[in-house]
Amino acid sequence: MGFLVWLEATGLADWVRMSIPGYPSMIALHALGMAIMVGLSLVLDLRLLGWFAGIPLAALRRFFGLAWIGFGINFVSGSALFSAQATSYIVDVIFMSKMTLVLLGAITAAILQTAVVKSAGTGEPITGGTKAIAAIAIVIWLSAITTGRLTAYL
Amino acid sequence: MDAVMDWMVTTPINMLVIGYAWSWPTLESLHFLALCTLMGSLLVMDLRLIGFQRMIPLQAVHSLMPLAIVSFAINFITGVGFLFGDPYTYAANYAFWVKMSLIVLAGLNFLVYFTKVEPKIIHLGPNEPTPPLAKAVGVLSLVFWFGVLSYGRLLPYLGTGGG
Repeated sequence: MGFLVWLEATGLADWVRMSIPGYPSMIALHALGMAIMVGLSLVLDLRLLGWFAGIPLAALRRFFGLAWIGFGINFVSGSALFSAQATSYIVDVIFMSKMTLVLLGAITAAILQTAVVKSAGTGEPITGGTKAIAAIAIVIWLSAITTGRLTAYL
Repeated sequence: MDAVMDWMVTTPINMLVIGYAWSWPTLESLHFLALCTLMGSLLVMDLRLIGFQRMIPLQAVHSLMPLAIVSFAINFITGVGFLFGDPYTYAANYAFWVKMSLIVLAGLNFLVYFTKVEPKIIHLGPNEPTPPLAKAVGVLSLVFWFGVLSYGRLLPYLGTGGG
């Protein structure tokens, strides 16, 4: 808790809380990064489940890279937003559920990225296990978005 | 326009959107989910139009269109719900009108794609370059839609309408 109290007292936290552009600019960037990371992840997950089958697996590799840029934008903007109210967020069940879901979503994306790179390289088809992870990833992302949105109400 | 807004708040839609604690957050969650699938499918389609990832055949890119259209439909319906729930606040906020104008521009850009670009490119296979007009339409699409997203998210913080 000492770290969170310190975090809330930093210049960054102050800027997010008090300045005119602070909170809105970080929240807008957070929506932008979300659209890139979650939007592309959902499209990639659906592709692995057999939708849009004409898109070659090899082409997906680059889009994973773009998705991680979105994730990076959200890591930075999310850290700034968190700093402003760190001690409140850390005890918020909905917020902590969202963070857990985002972490799980990122892990599924990393696993699926590895599977896509392997399949694109060897020409082997996507395995049933990979498809199962893609299906789970869709549920995780939908839950992460919903809990993230509900964070605003608590 | 005042008469339209006065009518909006008397409709059952207004009741449904603001009459229950769960309805507004539910609509917002749906709005966010569909904006993700809209932007995700647009990124793949527009980047291929612009010239990235040329290994993707255009027919395959086109297979993303239903996802984009369904996503937009969800956001249109939930967005109309917000408007019926709180019309005076939105009408007084300039960011709302900027967002709506950008949606209209994105729609016109889509019409150009649908009538002028798609018929010429739909047969393009892997590694075939797209014409300049296709590239322009792809860039404009990303500019307009990311503008819609930004103004939408900034809406509560801009203008005098609050939100």
